Amino acid sequence: MQPKSESLIKFFSRKRKQRDMLALPAGINAFYTILLGILCILTLIPIYVIVISSVTSESVLVTDGYRLWPREFSTRAYDFLFARGSIVVTSYQNTIIATVAGTILAVLMVGFYAYPLSRPNFKFRNFFTFYAFFTMLFSGGLVSYYMVTRQILRIQNSLWALFLPSAFSPFWVLVMRTFYKSNIPNELIEAARIDGANEWQTLFQIVLPLATPGLATVALFSAVGLWNNFFNCLLLVDEAKYYSLQFTVYTTLNNIRFLLENADKMPGIVNISELPSQTFRMAMVVVTIGPIVAAYPFFQRYFVRGLTIGALKG
Amino acid sequence: MPAPGMQILDFVEWAAGWCHHQVHNTSRCAIEAAFSTKISPRRKSKWHRDKVYANLSYLTMVLPGAIWLLLFSYLPMPGIILAFKHYKLARPPADSLIKNTFIYSLIKSPWVGLNNFKYLILPTNVNATLMYLRNTVLYNLLFMIVGLVLSVALAVIIFELKSRFLAKVYHSIFFLPFFISWVVVAYVVYALGSFNGVINNFIVPLGHAPIEVYKQKAVWPFIFLLANVWKYTGNGSIIYLATITTIERELYEAAAIDGAGKWKQFVHITLPHLTPVIVLLQILAVGRILGSDFDMFYTLPNGSAFVKDVTYTLDIYVYSMLTSSLPIGYPAAAALVPSIVGFVLILVTNAIVRKLRPEMALF
Repeated sequence: MQPKSESLIKFFSRKRKQRDMLALPAGINAFYTILLGILCILTLIPIYVIVISSVTSESVLVTDGYRLWPREFSTRAYDFLFARGSIVVTSYQNTIIATVAGTILAVLMVGFYAYPLSRPNFKFRNFFTFYAFFTMLFSGGLVSYYMVTRQILRIQNSLWALFLPSAFSPFWVLVMRTFYKSNIPNELIEAARIDGANEWQTLFQIVLPLATPGLATVALFSAVGLWNNFFNCLLLVDEAKYYSLQFTVYTTLNNIRFLLENADKMPGIVNISELPSQTFRMAMVVVTIGPIVAAYPFFQRYFVRGLTIGALKG
Repeated sequence: MPAPGMQILDFVEWAAGWCHHQVHNTSRCAIEAAFSTKISPRRKSKWHRDKVYANLSYLTMVLPGAIWLLLFSYLPMPGIILAFKHYKLARPPADSLIKNTFIYSLIKSPWVGLNNFKYLILPTNVNATLMYLRNTVLYNLLFMIVGLVLSVALAVIIFELKSRFLAKVYHSIFFLPFFISWVVVAYVVYALGSFNGVINNFIVPLGHAPIEVYKQKAVWPFIFLLANVWKYTGNGSIIYLATITTIERELYEAAAIDGAGKWKQFVHITLPHLTPVIVLLQILAVGRILGSDFDMFYTLPNGSAFVKDVTYTLDIYVYSMLTSSLPIGYPAAAALVPSIVGFVLILVTNAIVRKLRPEMALF
């Protein structure tokens, strides 16, 4: 049996045989094709609504509300986006820094940690496998994590808080271990050893180049995870200058909903016209998902591979 | 002129050599210090020395990850004793061995047995606790069952589609929501469901009463289910689709010749092949039954207090207690329950699976 990831990639890249006795009858095939087509449209609608409302003109959005096809378009929200609230710019920077730093750390730490676990001649192999695996089964719980990160590690209110807690993952260690085991033949490593390479040279010159697809998967998943991370910031950051993008976007929505719902109870305090415009907020969301949606088609192969290699047991 | 990439490669090579040199030297020094003698190459065989060096290099590779795990996973573990203590802030005196205020206070705080757990079942709180527990378990079961059925169905249908091109396009689209954060989904809920959202703009002109998502409890199970299906079905189907592609076509052809229809082929060929993966993923899911997707449950309701009864899970409950002025022992107690129950559940399910089908067990 060939590895699942390879067979899946092959599945998508090959055409179906012209005369296939297992093919669905034309009618049923058409039914499923249309059904999935409709479901795809439904899947895309939420993203569409956000994008379309970000280019709706503000006055139309206020009078008509959110619609699938607005009466009037405008791109003013985008003009304002980076000029207006510096908090968006700051949190954008923070998120970019955290994503880059966290991804580099994750690739290095996971790549390094997993390699010895795949080597039969590593004496403490079982110990370190269990050491990583156990943390997937049991944790100290949120409260003690909160106290430790804030009181002992003291990473709160810094950029560290945005990426350090997500810079390593035992799950990816197990996936990478399987990847090394199944993709890098032991003979190759032994040949390198016989030729006089030491463990580090073997790792950098033989193993890591061959493991690029696996490492790319780790990198992409951790990049997306860091970009979308909301929890680290919620738990560990109180100062606005260290907010992550997701957190800023969430707080904006939260504040506005609260103010709008309570505007009648606090007359004079809330001036609705002073709130960031609705299109502005939607533009903020578009900018948030933009990089991911733009990069998605190019990296989808790696994501698919990442979900199929390993699957814990190999 | 060399490509800029080459310089990086050169640097990596140099760094590797340097690291090796360091390891080589330190390990030698360490061994020499340990035996307080110079190791002569003749006394210890080269083979033995190589083995020690190999293991030392491996240990250095493992080190960064091991430190991370120590700090972020193992260090909080002893903290579970917070659940059995009445935590009081105490400043360590100047001559104290323990300088860290938190550790010092933790040690000095008095033990209170199960008192913190009692808070959760006080007559004033027991309803809330049980309600949040119910929410957590029911939502998890709902997501597990619906997610499994839809993911497998999607995988099978995509596999059967005649056009591989469409199969690929569809799959890419279904997979896309996995990369969109819950915060963005919270905006979608707002844009679709708020008083001037898309849905109300459709139904109100038709004479239907407007839906106010942030005030109506009944809609939330649907919103969560929809959001969960939207985000995870495409992702969940990948592993099943990948497994289906490894099943040999001859099996299906033989079955088809023997007169088995598509449904029978699915039940007797596809499903048995998928079982190991399904079992594995369900073991993990059962272990997380008291956990929840924090970001989803926290961001989608947008902090609306009206719908707390149906949107709070244990995780959110713990977080809300943690950020309130309650003694920290209470949320610690509430957080310990899912930790322990999850740990026990995963051991039990795994033991059962190992007994029935050893090859499918997780460990």
